Amino acid sequence: MSEPTEKRRLIRRIWDAIWTPTAVLSTGFLLIAGFLAGILFWGGFHWTLEMTNTEEFCTSCHTMETNLGEYRETVHYNNHSGVRAICSDCHVPHEWQYKMKAKIMAVKDVYHEVLGTISTPEKYEERRLEMAAAVWKKMKASDSRECRNCHAFEYMDFTIQETRAADNHQKAIDTGMTCIDCHQGIAHDLPPGYLEEYNHVVETLAEATREIDDDVAAIRSYLGSGTE
Amino acid sequence: MLSFLDLLGTIGASILGLPGILGVALGMMTRNLIVAAVLGGGVGVVSPLLLGGSHSTHVPITPLEYGVALVVGVLAGLIGCTIRRRGATV
Repeated sequence: MSEPTEKRRLIRRIWDAIWTPTAVLSTGFLLIAGFLAGILFWGGFHWTLEMTNTEEFCTSCHTMETNLGEYRETVHYNNHSGVRAICSDCHVPHEWQYKMKAKIMAVKDVYHEVLGTISTPEKYEERRLEMAAAVWKKMKASDSRECRNCHAFEYMDFTIQETRAADNHQKAIDTGMTCIDCHQGIAHDLPPGYLEEYNHVVETLAEATREIDDDVAAIRSYLGSGTE
Repeated sequence: MLSFLDLLGTIGASILGLPGILGVALGMMTRNLIVAAVLGGGVGVVSPLLLGGSHSTHVPITPLEYGVALVVGVLAGLIGCTIRRRGATV
């Protein structure tokens, strides 16, 4: 009986010590110490985050073996220029808030690794279309943001591209298309029925955008009628 | 499931981003809860405008991002103010 009470007292003493104004440390000492501790903490946090961006980390799970094998056959792994795009280059945004969001959402990968959701080739193939559609949805919604960290229409010299590629890139600029509209299987194999699924993803996103636009229009109309 | 994760990710990113960190810092500058909430909320509104979107694409910031940043900013401001009240004599 006495043990929990003593434990509570200890917690209480620590809690009180945290919130009691210090009588032995100067403001300068606290500021400098806090500043240094902040740098150490933030540096450590960022370093750890960067460690989770490495190819070794991404492919350390058994379930990532299939996509690693497929990716190693593509131009993003080996090419004439010697520039390589690793997993995080395509799947982790550079911008801080979106990077953090991607890292938090990646917790589901650990969950499914533990559950063994895609632990066998059969299970993997069963879920391939669903997984691909989830990535396409993100890429379409963000205007292929991660592709554009390396590729940009503005930097392309159409005169040294194949005629077909140059024509299609020009068409993409003219019609406001985004990279993933054409390059769905650029790093991983495509499942059967992928085109129908991609069209479904595009329609779903367009529908969601229409609904938001309708909501905004309704709010504007309500505010407009209220002020009249 | 994915939309829940999406929301969770947006909240987490806001907490670890400007609304969360600057919100707490600004909240710690006042003992007035309303001022702290306004300061935190201000950061919540401004930060998606400053840091949202992307340098390479022109995707508009979604209402969800705005909403989450605002709520996180207000809460962070209030937490900062509570820290000030609890931990400072001035």
